[in-house]
Amino acid sequence: MPDANQQITSTIIAGTLILLFFGVLFLAMIVYYNYRRRQTAQEKKAMKAMFDQQLMQARLEVQEQAFTHISEEIHDNVGQLLSLAKMQLSSVEDSALVDQEILSSARENVARAIRELRNLSRSLHTGHISALGIRQAAEEEGQRITRAGQLLVSVTSEGSERDITEDKQLILFRIIQECLQNCVKHAGATNVNIGFTWYPDQLRVRVRDDGKGFDPEVTLRGPAKGLGLQNIRNRARLTGGSGIISSKPGEGTTVTVMMPYE
Amino acid sequence: MIPILVLDLGTELIGTNWRIFHWKNNYLIYNLYLVLSTPLFLYLFSILLALTRQQKRYYFGAAILLEVLVLYNFFFQQGPSEFNTYSNLLIQGANIILSCLAIARLAIGGRDEEAIILQDPRFCLNAMILLFSLVTLILLGLQKYIVVHDIEIRHKVLYFAIMPIANAVLYTGYSCAFLLCRMQTSK
Repeated sequence: MPDANQQITSTIIAGTLILLFFGVLFLAMIVYYNYRRRQTAQEKKAMKAMFDQQLMQARLEVQEQAFTHISEEIHDNVGQLLSLAKMQLSSVEDSALVDQEILSSARENVARAIRELRNLSRSLHTGHISALGIRQAAEEEGQRITRAGQLLVSVTSEGSERDITEDKQLILFRIIQECLQNCVKHAGATNVNIGFTWYPDQLRVRVRDDGKGFDPEVTLRGPAKGLGLQNIRNRARLTGGSGIISSKPGEGTTVTVMMPYE
Repeated sequence: MIPILVLDLGTELIGTNWRIFHWKNNYLIYNLYLVLSTPLFLYLFSILLALTRQQKRYYFGAAILLEVLVLYNFFFQQGPSEFNTYSNLLIQGANIILSCLAIARLAIGGRDEEAIILQDPRFCLNAMILLFSLVTLILLGLQKYIVVHDIEIRHKVLYFAIMPIANAVLYTGYSCAFLLCRMQTSK
């Protein structure tokens, strides 16, 4: 039979171990709670990202529908009216009462307007972009802007071209358009290069200009919160890739989009 | 944290080499440690608990009361030459409650919901203080009884058999907390 001291020792050890057990149990519960909380937060974040992506996709679809509608309107309505005006100008060309020089100039202007509208209509139309392919569509868009005389746009391509889904091509094309618009509106650039690099698993598109550049942090904090820049990033994310905008005042701007083929 | 560590180190150095000073025992130095370390720990917990202004008022009221009781026990009740078990019970009890509250606050009230609590130095610190206090609550509370009745485990006084392990756990916790702090600041 154990003596009194042994009983005391056992009781002290048992008491200490029980207290210790409850302490460890409490800590384990806290760690488990933290684990569950993190998991919930991550799930919430993933759901929010998915919701944002769906929202963005819906917005893009609406935008594309609007673009297609405008394109059709230009082609079917404004284009037809201008063609009619051109024909009418041609019919009065022989009249002795009209100043031939002014008439000829007016006819040229109308013809140019028709050409420009046709190009614009094509650049807005979804079907045209997917029919051409992303590189060719970018080249055509570059030529359109170069013809306007504000920018000299060049397109380069490295590696063998791969097939990209229609949606991704469209998103990528809108990113390139956004970049070119930024160059015209804000950058004060004279040269822009659109570089396609076809890697085995992903495509890199780099739009580089020689404009005045900017501080991305300041722009993102500004009143407009760099909506255009955010659009570029969000659109790039929508393709499952990423968009990186790097710029410094006086050093031009480079927008790099990495997009997986799958 | 640094003053607590300096105090710990000084106490352990003198407490281990008490014979050099020709004392009868080393209780005085450990009693002084209880008196001096209590305000430091209470201040540390006041930071860890991130109290509001009103909560701080109640907290410091309770802290002053606790320190007064420890001082009363040191000077008038058990005295400096006997180990202050009552003070120890009070302090370890307070440590258990406060470390549990601090851990709960870290787990529930943290802003960053994705933060891993095991990588938080405050969790490490509080967890080890909690475990140390749970072990020492009974062991140091019965310190005199253990010594007088010579209660042993495997021919070793129970106190000397368990306390080194508890101390090792506590200081490992401190070291981990410092390491995690360093990792976070270098990030």
